[in-house]
Amino acid sequence: MTSHWCDFQNADVIMNIGSNSAENHPVSSKWIHKAHERGAKWIVVDPRYTRTAEQADIYCPIRSGTDIAFYGGLYNYIIENDLWQHEYVLNYTNASYLLDPEYEFDPATGFFSGWDEEAGKYSNHSWHYQVESETVWDTSEGGDYAWAVAEGVPEFTPPVVQHPKRDMTLQDPLCVFQQFKKHYSRYDMDTVCSICGMDKETLELVYSTYASTGQPGKAGAVLYALGQTQHTYGAQNTRAMSVLQLLLGNIGVPGGGLNALRGEPNVQGATDMGMLVNEHPAYLKWANTTDRSSLRKWLESQTYSDGYYTNKPKFLISSLKEWFGENATVENDYGYDWWPKVPTSPDFTMMSTFELMDQGVIKGYFNWGMNPCHSAPNAGFVRRSMAKLDWLVVADQVATESATFWKAPDMNPEEIDTTVYFLPCALIYEKPGIILNSGRWMQYRNKAVEPWDMAKPDYEMCDLIWREVCRLYEEEGGANPDPILKTKWDYYVDGKIDPRPVAWALNGYRVAGTECNTTSAAPKTDLLPGYGDLKADGSTACAMWIYSGFWSNNDAPLDAAEQPIGRRDNSDASGIGLNSTWAYAWPNNRRILYNRASADMAGKPWNPEKVLVEWTGDKWNLVDAADFVAAKNGKPVPPNDKAFFMLWEQNGRLESYGMADGPLPEHYEPFETPVESNPLNGALNSPCMQFARNESTRKGDSAEYPIVATTYSVTEMWQTGGQSRMCPALVEAMPSQFVEISEELAAEKGIEKGDKVRVFNNRGSVVVDAMVTKRIKPLTVHGETQHLVGLTHHYSWAGVFGTGDTVNDLTPNVGDPNSFTPEYKAFLVDIEKA
Amino acid sequence: MDLTRRGFFKAAGATFAAGAAFQLASASPALAVEPDKNWKLVNTEEYTNICCYCAGGCGSLCSVREGELINLEGDPDHPINQGGLCPKGASMFQLRNIVDPETREVVKNPDRISRPMVRRPGASDWEEISWEDAIEEIARNVKDTRDATFVETDETGLTVNYTPAIASLGGSQQNSEEEYLILKAMRSLGVVAVDNQARV
Amino acid sequence: MSEKAILFDSSKCTACKGCQIACKCWNGLPSPTGLNENVFSGTLQNPPDVNGDTRLIITFNEMEAEEGMSNKSIAWAFGRRSCQHCSDAPCAQVCPGGALVKDEATGFVSVDDSKCIGCQYCSSACPFDVPHYYGAQSKVNKCTGCIDRVENGMAPACVSTCQPGALQFGDRDEMIAIAHKRVEFLKAHGYEKATVYGENEMGGLHVIQVLKYGVEAHGQVEDPKVSPMVGLQQIMKPITAVGTGATVLGLGAMFALAAGYRHKNLAYNEKTGDTIDVDTGEVVKHGDAQDELTVVEHLTENLPKKKGGSHE
Repeated sequence: MTSHWCDFQNADVIMNIGSNSAENHPVSSKWIHKAHERGAKWIVVDPRYTRTAEQADIYCPIRSGTDIAFYGGLYNYIIENDLWQHEYVLNYTNASYLLDPEYEFDPATGFFSGWDEEAGKYSNHSWHYQVESETVWDTSEGGDYAWAVAEGVPEFTPPVVQHPKRDMTLQDPLCVFQQFKKHYSRYDMDTVCSICGMDKETLELVYSTYASTGQPGKAGAVLYALGQTQHTYGAQNTRAMSVLQLLLGNIGVPGGGLNALRGEPNVQGATDMGMLVNEHPAYLKWANTTDRSSLRKWLESQTYSDGYYTNKPKFLISSLKEWFGENATVENDYGYDWWPKVPTSPDFTMMSTFELMDQGVIKGYFNWGMNPCHSAPNAGFVRRSMAKLDWLVVADQVATESATFWKAPDMNPEEIDTTVYFLPCALIYEKPGIILNSGRWMQYRNKAVEPWDMAKPDYEMCDLIWREVCRLYEEEGGANPDPILKTKWDYYVDGKIDPRPVAWALNGYRVAGTECNTTSAAPKTDLLPGYGDLKADGSTACAMWIYSGFWSNNDAPLDAAEQPIGRRDNSDASGIGLNSTWAYAWPNNRRILYNRASADMAGKPWNPEKVLVEWTGDKWNLVDAADFVAAKNGKPVPPNDKAFFMLWEQNGRLESYGMADGPLPEHYEPFETPVESNPLNGALNSPCMQFARNESTRKGDSAEYPIVATTYSVTEMWQTGGQSRMCPALVEAMPSQFVEISEELAAEKGIEKGDKVRVFNNRGSVVVDAMVTKRIKPLTVHGETQHLVGLTHHYSWAGVFGTGDTVNDLTPNVGDPNSFTPEYKAFLVDIEKA
Repeated sequence: MDLTRRGFFKAAGATFAAGAAFQLASASPALAVEPDKNWKLVNTEEYTNICCYCAGGCGSLCSVREGELINLEGDPDHPINQGGLCPKGASMFQLRNIVDPETREVVKNPDRISRPMVRRPGASDWEEISWEDAIEEIARNVKDTRDATFVETDETGLTVNYTPAIASLGGSQQNSEEEYLILKAMRSLGVVAVDNQARV
Repeated sequence: MSEKAILFDSSKCTACKGCQIACKCWNGLPSPTGLNENVFSGTLQNPPDVNGDTRLIITFNEMEAEEGMSNKSIAWAFGRRSCQHCSDAPCAQVCPGGALVKDEATGFVSVDDSKCIGCQYCSSACPFDVPHYYGAQSKVNKCTGCIDRVENGMAPACVSTCQPGALQFGDRDEMIAIAHKRVEFLKAHGYEKATVYGENEMGGLHVIQVLKYGVEAHGQVEDPKVSPMVGLQQIMKPITAVGTGATVLGLGAMFALAAGYRHKNLAYNEKTGDTIDVDTGEVVKHGDAQDELTVVEHLTENLPKKKGGSHE
């Protein structure tokens, strides 16, 4: 989220798209209702009339998987009717930037310029800007970048700043605005309705209502979730929403923002932590074999020429210093080469790991509170692949489907040679620790009771395994032991593993004054007050630069309650719900990201009633922590157009060269689609879709499987049920999984409420209960009736209170080319009465 | 600073709820009565925690008496949920303890597994294993797999230090300190197949 | 102390069932724990009704929206089904054992199941069919308004947990005022059938409701009546020594008359003296016009250690 939960109260229009927030993020209701009572309009765009839709003023149905057509039509409407936020778009976005003359989109083929047929991917060369001039970093003594050549800083060639060519009249045909306008002129409302399946009257009402937030001082909030991301163009959906919010001037303002309602308790933390193949903690990139194959290459490819990410060397060196401690020196590139480098091939993201298990490449597997046998797409393939593992370790509180894959109804344990270890974990209130919510708030969990019986916190399990592995390598040697034995692992208080010194590592500290391995009686720390103090010379250590400041009180370094994260003052001086004195929000306790954009070019807030930052003529009045350069060398910096200083251009991107599958969102059909053509371009599917050619995906076509299916969660259950199915009250409240069917389709298939229904496709077949409802209606797509069904996915064979079939046996293991996220939200099935 | 009432009791995050006395600050004084021994929360300590379901970050209050969880509900001081909890959050008590329908007594949740177990090749059921043995075996497996598959340099001579043979999945359920330890352990072992719930 | 009430605003309810679950957790009420013991209702309404271990459920009713009902084509009415804590609480009036007691200060009707003799008069007397029974002992269970929490300065568990703010708790007058204001707001926003419920029904309920689509849509009883049984029962108490035939007859007649939310229709056969479940034809209670036992003794005679009445 660029905003946070309490900020929804400040919105003038709220649009849920791909999010059923009332059901899956129930606390959102509290804050949306506050806006609603104040007179805000609430729109829900969803294939189903959900519990959220019932709350809303406007409900607009949509065929699963056609969101980009919807957004494209909305852009077109906004531009045609001149409803975009002029001052914002002109100054704070790249609308005026001139694109490379070779940039092109060909509607006849559906390809952007730069397609490499042989490689099966785009070269983004022609998606870049034209360059007006270049400047270099001033690394001379006293210069802005003198730090880059200081002692202890590894040698690297600083990037050159390229100043893009701009046309502030927005008339040049090569400027982003004109190209954008041209691109979406094809998205007229009739075409959109024909693709998406809603009626034109409803669509126009949605468009006019949401576009009304383009007026300066008005705020529109977009709330989205997995309904947007779980597509073969999910990342483009996310970009599409960002672009919408930029056009209407809704990013950075109170009540606006692009708000990903995230679904796991600490998924924000895990994303921040970069627990993903190619990611590094705190939104840096992990080492690889190409542009990040050495420390120098990393610094040269990753450091931005301008904006805040010019500081990346400080972040990375501090990360290495925390990782390897005294073993990291400037002479050995701070240990960079001990880190594993991710090869270009094969792919190691989640869906690919099951191919690699199937091929015998991956032999050992850790599942830390995650249950892929239930949650991964094409789950039948997943369990058959896992059966080829030598060993599996599952840390959880119940015997999940993954822990018991060998007990699945279609498996024969005698034929499975995998050794499976189940490690019982402590519950959330049986251990202390840090957790982040969707609004980037870092909060502290206090331990209330001891873990029951022999259960242990995951940090303790991990420590036990790590120390034992180290012991083996110390005693026996083995394949290069250095990456293991040079790693600093010293998070002990009074000799016991403890999360608090780990918190110091996350916050960052001066190496000279800090000992992580400590006693409770005399802890020695020199914790950093914030990331502004990080150095690239090895004198500071910090695992998570974005968190720096959250645990910075050296007077009580072992007491969470005395740290910024432990604050419990809910008085909210802002009056608009920033709650800046409650806990801590990264970065730098900033509650609304990009808050510079809440004020005009003169620094005057668009909405004087809701001030985040304001230029008073000689200084900034900062209600929220500034997300821009408000002062330099102790002096206030007057307002400028650099509202997005985490990008090198420091302007928001309506067009982006950074995506694998095109610089502008373009409508393509899902991997499995009920239609045979794409009225908007000559390509049916995204040419960049991942894994579609893998044999395991077993594509179905619409002649055999004519019904569009989507999966989703209900409020009474959660994910694979590992937690919710162990609570009898929740099983009672939602005793089984069901398929939601329109009355029309039910009549056609002879199905009645409560019947058992078989839902099937090439990948699997499941029997679930029927929920026949008025809340799903057949849509008219390309002039034909199109049925759509919805499936919940919380049950499977494991558990003692409630079990069922595995709905993810049906979902396709194909994914987005940027995020490698699976397409759970649109695929084909057929149904029959069981 | 305007501390909330629970802010005063910050040692280890615990607050001591001496009967109902502390509750009265925000409740209707007209209804105040002396706590009696039948009062569910009599002599409980309160610990604040954060919900384990969606990423709303709702605050909860765990009421504990003699080391056992007595009640769990929304933290009324929390600025996001203001005391509320959805059905899943409201049932977090049951992750540990449930009410037996036969006896109507509070018992440990029978679905929870609280001891290490191992399933041997070809076996059709679990067997118990001690923590010590489980850790020893896991570490041995990790080392054997790593040693057999480790790639120190690739075909171009580049130092790569990875094993393609071990994968690690998960992290969004853990606290951040745990995420860092898991990530650090896995990466230092040479694991490149690190992924978590954020992928899906 | 002034009278209290729970306010349920169906227009803010997201039907998440947080209240349903929080009620169970606070009050220590069990849920079935057998594997797949719960049966799916075919809708989101699970369990399908309140029962001896479930004091509160959220009800779901989906409709094509009629003219004036909503600006959208679908109307999905969420209801809160639980005890409404009547001012003229007939359950408390008929309860022979003193298990159901109206708290005059708050207006809430609490339940002490140790005093319940399992006669089920309260079920029959209730215009909303709320009190249900649990266990072999047939003990009554129903919402108490979490009077323990209220007496300790807290809101009822369902109210505390409600995320969207659909449930509030406070002085009854204040809740009524909020409800009226909200109904005005809803009417101005296209929900022309919105109405306040509970202000005057049954002498005034202690659950005040804002019903977005009108009374019936949300599963409420249009004009709940105090059951005629209540009067008979009060007469019955002093005359039990004389003979019970007439009383049983009266009771049977009342069973058939009882209005409101009800699943069992009972009828009394004057010739045999049997009480019959109209839907199943099953004899719920065998009658004997000649016997000398009281109604209460009859109804409790099959319970362990209760045979023959209370003198044993």
